[in-house]
Amino acid sequence: MDTLQVIRDFLSEQYGIPVEKIAPETALDQLGIDSLMFIELLFEFDSKFGIPAPEKDIGDIKTIGELVALVDKIRAERK
Amino acid sequence: MARRRVAITGLGLVSPLGADPQEFFARLLRGESGISLLSSDDDRGVISRPASQCLNFDPEAALGKALTHTMDRFSQLGASAAFSAWQDAGFELDNNPERVDFGVAWGTGVGGVLTYEQGYRNLYKNNQRMVSPLSVVLGMNNAAAAHIAIKLGLGGPNNTYSVACASSTIAIGEAFHQIRDGKASLMLVGGSEAPLAFGVVRAWEALRVLSSGNAENAASACRPFNKDRTGLVLGEGAGALVIEDWEHATARGARIYAELVGYGSSCDHSHLVRPSGAGEIRAMQNALDDGRLDIDQIDYVNAHGTATQEGDPTEISSLKTIFGHRAPSLPVSATKSMHGHMLGATGAIEAIITVLAINKNAIPPTAQLNEIDPNCLGVNHVRGAALTDVRLRAALSNSFAFGGANAVLAFRAV
Repeated sequence: MDTLQVIRDFLSEQYGIPVEKIAPETALDQLGIDSLMFIELLFEFDSKFGIPAPEKDIGDIKTIGELVALVDKIRAERK
Repeated sequence: MARRRVAITGLGLVSPLGADPQEFFARLLRGESGISLLSSDDDRGVISRPASQCLNFDPEAALGKALTHTMDRFSQLGASAAFSAWQDAGFELDNNPERVDFGVAWGTGVGGVLTYEQGYRNLYKNNQRMVSPLSVVLGMNNAAAAHIAIKLGLGGPNNTYSVACASSTIAIGEAFHQIRDGKASLMLVGGSEAPLAFGVVRAWEALRVLSSGNAENAASACRPFNKDRTGLVLGEGAGALVIEDWEHATARGARIYAELVGYGSSCDHSHLVRPSGAGEIRAMQNALDDGRLDIDQIDYVNAHGTATQEGDPTEISSLKTIFGHRAPSLPVSATKSMHGHMLGATGAIEAIITVLAINKNAIPPTAQLNEIDPNCLGVNHVRGAALTDVRLRAALSNSFAFGGANAVLAFRAV
C-alpha cells in the first residue's frame, strides 16, 4: 500500500481533511497536524505496515513528502 | 463585599428525549419516557437492561469529524450540550475573543470509561500491543471541560468535579459561588456522562440496584416512590447552563430564565451507599440559608428520586423534616422516571428542568407513580398529569450521591 494513500485515508476519514489538500509538498502545519495527530499517524503506519513508530529523525519533518520519505526508507530497510 | 446576583441565561442538553430543552421539557410535562431496552450481545455475556440512551445523537453532525474523533462520547455529549447553551445565551460559536473572566465548571462520574474499556479490550482480548495514542486525552475526566474552553475561548476557571451522582450539581453550585463572589463574570456549567459500557453496566448489576425489564415494558422501568419500584435506570446524556453575573447579563440584554440563589452541600459520613437523612437535611437547609429562602417560598422540589428501595423513603422523610407544615402541600416530582439516571450529568439535567418549571410555571410529574409506597407519603406527589395552574416563586433541585455527598441548588423566579 502507498504511504501517501495511508496518510490521506487517515486524515480524511478521522479529521475530515479533504484528500486533495494532502500533497507531498503540503506542510504539516498547513493541515493542522499537531503533535497528537503526528503520533496517531505513526501508530497508523505501525498498524498498516507493521513498522514500529520511528523515534529518530522525526523532529525535522515539516512536510507530508518528508514524512512519506522517512516511512518508505524504514519500510525498505525492513525488506 | 456585596453578593452579586446570578442569572441563568442559556440552556442546552442532549437527552434520550431530544436535544432541545423546550421540546424536552414539553415531553416531560406529557409524562413521556425516554427509557428503552439496552441490549448487547457481547461474547462475555448478554446485557439486557432498561437504559436511557441518546439514540438520535449524531456527534459528527453536532461537532464535525475532527472534534468527534478527538473526544470520548462523554465529551461529545457534553460539548454538544455546552455549545447549545452558549448559543442559547446569545453568543456565537466561532471566533470568540479570549475571556479570562469566563470559565467552565463541569461534572462527570465515570468520565471516559468507554475509551478505557476499548483500550483494555484491545490489550487483553484482541492481543494488540498498543492502545490509541489518544487514550489519555480522550479518557481524562476534564476532557469535556477542556474542549469547551478551547472552542469558546474561556480562559477563566476550568474545574471538573467527580462526585458520583452529585457531580454536576456541585459543579453548578461551586461556579455559582465564584460568580457571586466576583471571581468570574460568566460560567458555562453542567455535566455529561456516557456510562453504558459493558463493564460499567455489569458493575451496577453486581450492586443489585438496577431495574429490570424487557422491550415491551422498559419505558416504565423507573418508578420512583412507587410501591413496586425495582431500582434505578442508568442513562447517558448531558446538560449545560450559562450562569452569569446579573449586571453582566442585563448590560448585554440577555434573556434571563431564572435566578440561581442558593447552593448547599454536605456529607453523610456514615455509609458508602446507604443514604442518611441528616446529611440530606443539612444540604437542603444549607441551600435555603445560602439563598436566604424560607420554606414557604419553595413551590417545587425536583427530587433526587432514583427509585431505589432505601433512597426514596429517606428523601421523603428528609423533605418532611425540613418543610414541616408545608410538606403535605409541597409539589415534588422525580423526573428520573422519564430521563433515567445519568449519574454525573443528572444534576445538570434536573437543574434545567427546575429552571424551566419556574420559567414556565409548570411542574412535570413523576411518571409511573401509580401506587405511592406508604413509606413515601407525606408530600404533594405530582403524578399522572403535570401541574400547570401554578405559580412558582422558588424551587430546589436535589442530588444525593453514593459516597454520602449531597448537593442542593435553589432557584428563584425573575
